[in-house]
Amino acid sequence: MLSCVALASRAGAQVLPENPVRSADGRLVVSAEVVGTFGSQDQTAFFNYTDYEHNALRMLRLGTSGVWRPISWLALAAEVRSEDLEHPRVYAAYARIRPWRDRGFDIDVGRIPPTFGSFSRQAYTTTNPVIGYPLAYQYLTSLRTVAVPARADDVLRMRARGWRSSFPVGAPTPGPGVPLVSGFRWDTGIRVGWKGGPVQVTGAVTNGTLSNPRVSDDNAGKQLSARIAISPATGLVVGLSGAEGAWLARSVPTSGASQQRALGADVEYSRDHWIVRAELVFSRWSLPLPLAPSNVQSLNALGRWVEGRYRLTPRIFVAGRADRLGFSELLGSAPGSVALPWDAPVTRFEAGAGCYLQRNLVARATVQTNRRAGGRVRERTFLSAQLAYWF
Amino acid sequence: MGPRRTAALLVGVMTLVVCRSLVVPARAAAPAASGTIRGRVVLQSPSLQFAPRSIVSEVGMGALRSPVDRRSVVYLDPAPRAAFDTRDEPQARMDQRNETFVPHVLAIMAGTTVDFPNSDHTYHNVFSLSKTRSFDLGRYAVGRSKAIRFDRPGIVRVFCDIHSHMSAFILVFAHRYFAVTDEEGRYRIDSVPPGTYTVMTWNESTPLDSQRVAVPETGGEVEHNVTLGRR
Repeated sequence: MLSCVALASRAGAQVLPENPVRSADGRLVVSAEVVGTFGSQDQTAFFNYTDYEHNALRMLRLGTSGVWRPISWLALAAEVRSEDLEHPRVYAAYARIRPWRDRGFDIDVGRIPPTFGSFSRQAYTTTNPVIGYPLAYQYLTSLRTVAVPARADDVLRMRARGWRSSFPVGAPTPGPGVPLVSGFRWDTGIRVGWKGGPVQVTGAVTNGTLSNPRVSDDNAGKQLSARIAISPATGLVVGLSGAEGAWLARSVPTSGASQQRALGADVEYSRDHWIVRAELVFSRWSLPLPLAPSNVQSLNALGRWVEGRYRLTPRIFVAGRADRLGFSELLGSAPGSVALPWDAPVTRFEAGAGCYLQRNLVARATVQTNRRAGGRVRERTFLSAQLAYWF
Repeated sequence: MGPRRTAALLVGVMTLVVCRSLVVPARAAAPAASGTIRGRVVLQSPSLQFAPRSIVSEVGMGALRSPVDRRSVVYLDPAPRAAFDTRDEPQARMDQRNETFVPHVLAIMAGTTVDFPNSDHTYHNVFSLSKTRSFDLGRYAVGRSKAIRFDRPGIVRVFCDIHSHMSAFILVFAHRYFAVTDEEGRYRIDSVPPGTYTVMTWNESTPLDSQRVAVPETGGEVEHNVTLGRR
C-alpha cells in the first residue's frame, strides 16, 4: 500500500514548476508563460495577422509578469512579452493605488489594463477558449492611423487588404491597418475602478484609442473610456462599455478632430462544466475628409461573437467560437456602382479540443474556417495546435 | 480387553479428542497489549505561501495571504494486519473559505466520501488531475456542496479551476494507522499492535521521511520525533 502512496506521490507531482516565484514575504510575485502555436502559413489571406504583424495561429510567445506590493495600498505590475523571439515589448507597466483600504476603489497609472469590453482582459491562454482571437480584437481593417482616404473609391480599393493598406493622404508607404480594438497592446494613461457588491465601474483617460493603443500620444487628443459590469447572479456578468478618442496621428495633414467612437456589450455565464460568453463591439471612425460621391464622413464596423467551453473530463475540454465582422456600406463613384461594405465582411468559426497534461500545461488543437466577402482569397481553413505552459 | 480392542478404543478416544478440538474453540490466548506511537514533526523549511499567478489585468489589493497551514501526515508501513478489517464508509469534509481549502491537508481511509462545500462568497470549481482520483466538480455557487468518494489509496492534489492559488492535498490510505499533525506538529497513532514498523512522515514541501519504530509486546507509548528539512 505504501508503495502505492509513494508511487502516487511521484505521479501526482508536477513535472514542471507550477507556482509563481515569490519573494519578500510574498510581496513580490513573478510568473511566466510560454505559448507555442503551430499552424499553417497564411501569406496570402492574412486572416489572423495582428497589429504587430504576427500570425496569431503561428506564433511563439514568451512572457513574464511581476507584481510587487511594497506597501498595502500600492502595487506595481508589469508584463513583458516577446512574439516570435523578437525584441521584448512592455505589454503592461502600471502602478495600482488603493487610497482607502476598505473600499474597492483603485487608481491605475501607466500602461494600464483595458477598460473597454471583456475579451481584452481574457486574452490569456487560460481564459481564451480557442487559439484564435475574436475578429474585432485582431482582424486588421484597411483603416490606418497615418493615412486617410480622399474619396470613397480609395476605401473600396483597399477592401480585404488590411494587412497592407495605403491611402493617398498622409504616409505614402503601405502598412497594416487597425483592428476595432487591439487585443495585443494596452493603452497608457490613468484608470479608476470601483467595485461594490455586484457592480463594477471603471473609467480611463488614455493616450491612444481602442484601435491604436499607445505609450506616447501622437495627436494630443485623449481617449475617454468607461465600462460598467453587473453580476446579478452567481456566474452571470453583464457589461456595457463605451470609448471615444482621437485616432489619427498628427502627421496626417487633415487629421482635425477625427474620433473613434465605440460601444460594447458583453455577457458571460458559467455553470457546472460550462462557460459561455458573447460580446458585441461597434466602432465608428470619423474621417477628416468627406468621401465623395456620397460625402460619407464616418465608417462603421460591427463585430460580434459567441464562444463557449465545456469540460468533458477533468483533463479534456471542447471549445468553439462563432464570429462575424461587418462594415457599413459605401457607394463608389463608378457609374452604376452599388453600395458595398467599405471593407470585406468576415465570418469565422473555430472549434477544437484541449487536454490539460498537468494543471499548468495544456495542449489543444483547433480548426478555424474564414470566409470573406471580398479580396483575392475569400476562404481559408486553418488547422493549428498549441502547447502552453505557465506558472 | 485384548490388544485389538485396546487399540480400537485408543483410536476412538483420539478421534473424539480431535473432533472436539475442531468443534469447540480453544480458549482464546490473551490479546497482546497495543501501543501508541506519538511524537512531533518539526519543519525546518520556511512556511509556504501560495500566491495567485501574477496576471497583470487582475492585480488584487486585498490583504496578503497568510501562510498555508503546513501539516504533515504520519503513517505506518506496512500496516498491521488488523488495519484492513474495517468496513466503515466514513465521511470527511474539505471546505472552501476565503479562497482557501480548509483543511489544506486531509488524510482519509479508502472508501471515504469527502464533501466539498462552497462556504465562500464566490464561485469555485474543485478538480483534480491526480491518477489516484481525477475529478471535476464543475462550477457551483455559495451554499452548495458536492461530494466525491475516494476508493484508491494514494495522494490526490486538489485545485480550483477559477482561483489558481487554491490547492490542497488528500492522502488516501488503505488502513487506519495514520495521523495528521496538529498546528504544533504533534501527532498520535493509537491501537498499534506490537511489532516493528516503518513510520513514514509526509509533508508537501519535503521529501518523504521513513524511520523504523518498534512497539513492544507490552504495548505503551513510543515516542517518535521527526525533523523534516527543505526539499
